[in-house]
Amino acid sequence: MTVPLLETRNLSIRFGGLVAVSGVDLSLSAGETLCIIGPNGAGKSTLFNLISGIYRPGAGTVRLDGRDITGWPAHRIAAAGIARTFQSSRLFGDLTLVDNVVIGMHCRTRTGVLDALLRPRRARAELEAAAERAGELLRLVSPGLHERRHRLAGTLPQADRRRLEIARALASDPKIILLDEPSSGMDDRDTDALIEDIRLTMTERPGLSYIIIEHDMRLVAALPERVAVIDYGEKIAEGRFGEVRLMPRVQEAYLGQKAAHA
Amino acid sequence: MMADPAAATPLAHRAPGADLAVVAAIELGGATLLGAFLLADDSRLIVALLALLGAAFALLQIRPALEERIVAAFRRAQGAALGLGLAIVLAYPFAMQGNSYALHLLVVAQLYAVLALALNFQLGSANIPNFATGASYGIGAYASALLAINFGVSFWLTLPVAAAVATGFGFLLGFPSMRTRETYLALVTIAFGIVVHQMLNNLEWTGGPNGLVGIPAPTILGHSFAAPIEVFGHRLPSQANFYYLAAALVALAIVSARRLHDSRIGLAWNALRADELAARCQGINVVWYKMLAFAVDAFLAAFAGSVYAAYVSYISPDNFTFLVSVTIMTMVIVGGMDNTLGVILGAFLLTLLPEKLRIFADYRLLFVSVVVILFLILRPQGLFPQRPRSYGGRQ
Repeated sequence: MTVPLLETRNLSIRFGGLVAVSGVDLSLSAGETLCIIGPNGAGKSTLFNLISGIYRPGAGTVRLDGRDITGWPAHRIAAAGIARTFQSSRLFGDLTLVDNVVIGMHCRTRTGVLDALLRPRRARAELEAAAERAGELLRLVSPGLHERRHRLAGTLPQADRRRLEIARALASDPKIILLDEPSSGMDDRDTDALIEDIRLTMTERPGLSYIIIEHDMRLVAALPERVAVIDYGEKIAEGRFGEVRLMPRVQEAYLGQKAAHA
Repeated sequence: MMADPAAATPLAHRAPGADLAVVAAIELGGATLLGAFLLADDSRLIVALLALLGAAFALLQIRPALEERIVAAFRRAQGAALGLGLAIVLAYPFAMQGNSYALHLLVVAQLYAVLALALNFQLGSANIPNFATGASYGIGAYASALLAINFGVSFWLTLPVAAAVATGFGFLLGFPSMRTRETYLALVTIAFGIVVHQMLNNLEWTGGPNGLVGIPAPTILGHSFAAPIEVFGHRLPSQANFYYLAAALVALAIVSARRLHDSRIGLAWNALRADELAARCQGINVVWYKMLAFAVDAFLAAFAGSVYAAYVSYISPDNFTFLVSVTIMTMVIVGGMDNTLGVILGAFLLTLLPEKLRIFADYRLLFVSVVVILFLILRPQGLFPQRPRSYGGRQ
């Protein structure tokens, strides 16, 4: 049996009396896309915060490539190969697009303090090379972003902020990317364009795995191979979207009547 | 390398002669204004010169295109700008007409410029409110002075030792600070500054409130820094020695600031300034980078402290109070966060104003508060705001 790329076992956390995530088992192989759906407040984002090291799990384990990374600080988990975006995009607004992506390469660049002070040529060359790669990445994600790469990230419209976040996540050369509601706060037209861009990025980088939290059912139907449903912090179903959406428990918890008839 | 046609074409069309003229006009004009200000005795003249400076900045505020033009000129004529600037700095003491008070003010202003640049690593780059730069300044001054007085160590050797001691304290301060944030962090640094001040005041071996007297002046190749300089029959007052030493220190601070800013380190600081959580998720070890900012700040501040101690040859705890830290912070805010030139200008303005206009000196705290409030309202980004980094030879 092959070791899954990412595996969580019995992952749980509680905030005071509230059990936010409870006993979640997930597994993801290389090159696979998993979608996580569930009603608001079900614990989806908390699950991401546990995997990416922002919260320390109360119980359970997270393994990456068979290595136990439970309780590692966020920056080590990022270096180990898990990149993420945020539901309310968290860009470095007062820096340029290129700078944002170059910061994403932080754990793939080496310059230390003494290098920067005493060997400025080397430090500068490394940064220039990173900036060049950042430009290419921006072009890959969206040519529109590449054109505006010397503007400040804070000036971007919502859809482009998402794209930039995805480019920044790609910059660290991760094994897994966690996308937290990429379509949130966007209208249908923007969402369609974003789906197209994500799809394009996926075909450009076939080895990369994705976990996507999503509300927009069109995006869920369009992208992933496998869907996991979370409700009240627990995983209540897992499988192909077409099958999962027919399960009574899932319809009850999340999809509601409208989607059941869709 | 990818060319950027949209940005490169308009730049290439301009004549370099125009750039040189802009650079020369700005640098010589600035130097003349500063010189006139330093040598002026009549307070009406001083106010008029200040009004001139204010008008220049008002013009920049109204016409941002002008600012862009000047910045572009400096970028393209970088070598000439640097050469002319260096020549001005070297020749400046000769233009002071042997006025030792003007030279003294320049020494102090330059030391404050170093302190402000030191704080800028934290406040400007990483948005860490550190009210303890004055304390690091004091630790450096005392470490250097104690070594020189008690063990007869040469000034040049005490410099790195004092810097190392202060850096150690900087790390020490950085460590507990990591558990706090924003306002609370500011309180921790204020407390640190007060603790250092009280310790200097109460310890036996630091001379208590009387401080340390008789700190020897440095010598270089047999030339004592307490003696006047004679060049080509020109006689410069002894302050000129320290003027050049302080200028070298400012140069060191500028080079360090630029190199760190234009590297992965500066980007990491900027990242945690904008969004600490997002920075962590990019693989940035936030705790390490914050401590690093404390250490770099302490390192440079200690250099300034050592030079100050050797310059005035007498230090006491009252030279390194909380007020000093607040003044340094004001310089950074006024000058422009994360902009080297702006921070230096802020340091010069806030050092020279109270000296030239006694009314400011009498109400110093009031003056500092009014300046900060005015700037936060009128030009919150400071005199010279932070500029985006440029890549691919678009230096």
